[in-house]
Amino acid sequence: MYSYFIRRFLLMIPTFIGITFLCFTVTRFVPGGPVEQAVLRYQQAMANTSEGGGGTSDSAMEQGQISEEMMQQLKAIYGFDKPFYIAYLHWLWRVLHFDLGTSDTYSRPVWDLIKEKFPISIIFGLTGFTLSYLICIPLGVWKAVKHGSAFDTGSSVMVFIAYSIPGWTAGVLLLMLLGGNAFLDIVPSGGKESGYITEKSKLSMFLQQGALAVDLPAEIRSQYPKLRDNQQISANHPAFAHVPSEKRFQLKTGGHADLNFVGRLLDSMWHMILPVFCYVLGMFASKTVLMKNSLMENLGQDYVRTAFAKGLSERTVIFKHALRNSLIPIATGLGHMLSIILAGSYLIEKVFNINGFGLLGYESLIARDYPVTLGILVIGSMLKLFGNIMSDVLYCIIDPRIRFS
Amino acid sequence: MANELLKVKNLKTYFKTEAGIAKAVDGVDFDILPGEVLGIVGESGSGKSVTSLSIMQLIPNPPGEIVEGNIIFEGTDLLEAYRRKDYDVIRKIRGNKISMIFQEPMTSLNPVFTIGDQVAESLVHHKGMTPKEARDYAVKMLELVGIPSARERIDEYPHQFSGGMRQRVMIAMALSCDPSLLIADEPTTALDVTIQAQILELMLEVKAKTSNAAILLITHDMAVIAETCHRVVVMYCGRIQEIADVKTIFHSPQHPYTQGLLASLPKPGQKVRRLSTIEGMVPSLFNLPKGCSFCTRCSKKHEPCENVPPEMVETAPGHFVRCHLAKPMQSV
Ligand SMILES: Nc1ncnc2c1ncn2[C@@H]1O[C@H](COP(=O)(O)OP(=O)(O)OP(=O)(O)O)[C@@H](O)[C@H]1O
Ligand code: SF4
Ligand SMILES: [Mg+2]
Repeated sequence: MYSYFIRRFLLMIPTFIGITFLCFTVTRFVPGGPVEQAVLRYQQAMANTSEGGGGTSDSAMEQGQISEEMMQQLKAIYGFDKPFYIAYLHWLWRVLHFDLGTSDTYSRPVWDLIKEKFPISIIFGLTGFTLSYLICIPLGVWKAVKHGSAFDTGSSVMVFIAYSIPGWTAGVLLLMLLGGNAFLDIVPSGGKESGYITEKSKLSMFLQQGALAVDLPAEIRSQYPKLRDNQQISANHPAFAHVPSEKRFQLKTGGHADLNFVGRLLDSMWHMILPVFCYVLGMFASKTVLMKNSLMENLGQDYVRTAFAKGLSERTVIFKHALRNSLIPIATGLGHMLSIILAGSYLIEKVFNINGFGLLGYESLIARDYPVTLGILVIGSMLKLFGNIMSDVLYCIIDPRIRFS
Repeated sequence: MANELLKVKNLKTYFKTEAGIAKAVDGVDFDILPGEVLGIVGESGSGKSVTSLSIMQLIPNPPGEIVEGNIIFEGTDLLEAYRRKDYDVIRKIRGNKISMIFQEPMTSLNPVFTIGDQVAESLVHHKGMTPKEARDYAVKMLELVGIPSARERIDEYPHQFSGGMRQRVMIAMALSCDPSLLIADEPTTALDVTIQAQILELMLEVKAKTSNAAILLITHDMAVIAETCHRVVVMYCGRIQEIADVKTIFHSPQHPYTQGLLASLPKPGQKVRRLSTIEGMVPSLFNLPKGCSFCTRCSKKHEPCENVPPEMVETAPGHFVRCHLAKPMQSV
């Protein structure tokens, strides 16, 4: 069995190469590839500066054209000066060293961008994912046990509705209904934390003590050159401890960082409600139905009849004998958790303007930021391949019948 | 007789289906004596399984329901408790006083629990043993049913056992609580011919070694009946057609259906190319004849058969026949 998993790990290598080679090749041959994008950006930049400069350049040639030399340089940057398979090998070599290139739009290393955005998506996605399991499993079990009852029928209507509305569409509708400055104004309109808290906001009661930057002792102040004189700092700021106590005051306004722990927690949760709801909604129908059907199927099995024939109570039969078996397909889904979360994050993060992995991917696609797109593809396919193996491992653990060889 | 172990009286179990009501068991009466092996024989669909599942109250509901009758076990009316919705009565008896072996050994064990856990479960449940005691006892039972190196194999899962071995496990499980009645619903049908005889022999052997439980053995194989049973119940279309001890059934069967079943048996020393089987098809339960349910296939059908359902008559002491041709015994 271990040799099976070792083989699976080794098989990941050609699969990974296959996926990335295909995508890499496609980016080489589509119109509007990386070099053309760069040229376009350059031309736009030139056009802007020449307008700003009052039209000193009079030749249309200079405005639009790029010298042959520059073109060669650009091609070299993106590896277009070499045949695509050589370029792919170069790219792969760099990927193996965690160098995914530099983003065209952010001018930052792609790896840094991904490292920065990934945890944000994971927090939102994992919360939604966990919550969906916590809701769908008991609901599915109950529906199976009460199959045909009013409760079952009623919840089936809910499942049906949830099935027909994609999570992000519900997000748009709910934002229009409940979002900030909208109809009911109950939840924020997006983002992952409040930018500015006014005195009217309920969160203002969680604001901490603060002080003005001018009141800092001079030698401390010089360590934080970015602070402006009239800028507020809160008790969370490392320099705050040095403010003399008579200069401290209770903040009336501020940002997320100026809240105390409870306030920050509440603020984050407040921002998470709708996106997490949409994540759950996206997984709700299929998971509930899967759980119900799986349990129903097992309740009809011969071994359940055997368990009843032993004189066990209905509870024991359902919750010990049948449930254990029916959880197998649900539990193996856990292996794909990360891929599922990331796949769901694209549109939801776009709708709620959450600055995570999904939004990064979405925007890199729109902006044709090839290094970022390819980087996300690398991470995504790695997670998918690992997810497959994880599912198999879970299968092995839960189901004694499965022994891979 | 007052000392019977189980008495089934006028049992009716119906299934409500889209095509109508299937009277799978329609007025069945018989009893089982302590320690006796009683066979129920009949073609597929005659209601053998439904009868046994009704005794255990394991009829899937819906669509099935026990609509009438009494099942008196050791003096307690199980169906009366069932109608009172007092399900504790049967729960204390199932797997304890009455246990059951099913036709499908491949699927009757839970795939995710070890053999040991499954055998020990009823011991813990009914006998109040500690898991440790139950485990030791389970090893003993598995040795008794002939599982080699039982102490090691007890921690294996059902898929690691062959069909015959699984049926042995089922027997060990069924007999572990010393039941006074063991219901075996075609325990060997799904097994290899060579293993069938072993399993039957094993059941009788283990029965003798333990509490000498009565056995209700369901089969459609007359040869099995001949080898194992004391008395035989012949069923057809949800009704009992003939009851007698095994000798009488084989030597002087009264009912044309029983005669047909026996004629389909190959006799030793007799060279037959074709086994004679009963002509025709079992009628649909939704479309039973008005009179005798066997009249569509009976070679001795005569005038009243199609319209008047025959009554059960006792032709000799302990020999009951449901046929217009049967002569009641001379009351002296
Ligand atoms: N779950 C069910 N739903 C509907 N009808 C059923 C169900 N179980 C049994 N029946 C009906 O009861 C009749 C008798 O079935 P039963 O299983 O008792 O036959 P059997 O004598 O055990 O046959 P076999 O030798 O094939 O096991 C069947 O013909 C069928 O019409
Ligand atoms: S009653 Fe008539 S039809 Fe039925 S078995 Fe007897 S002879 Fe045949
Ligand atoms: Mg049957």
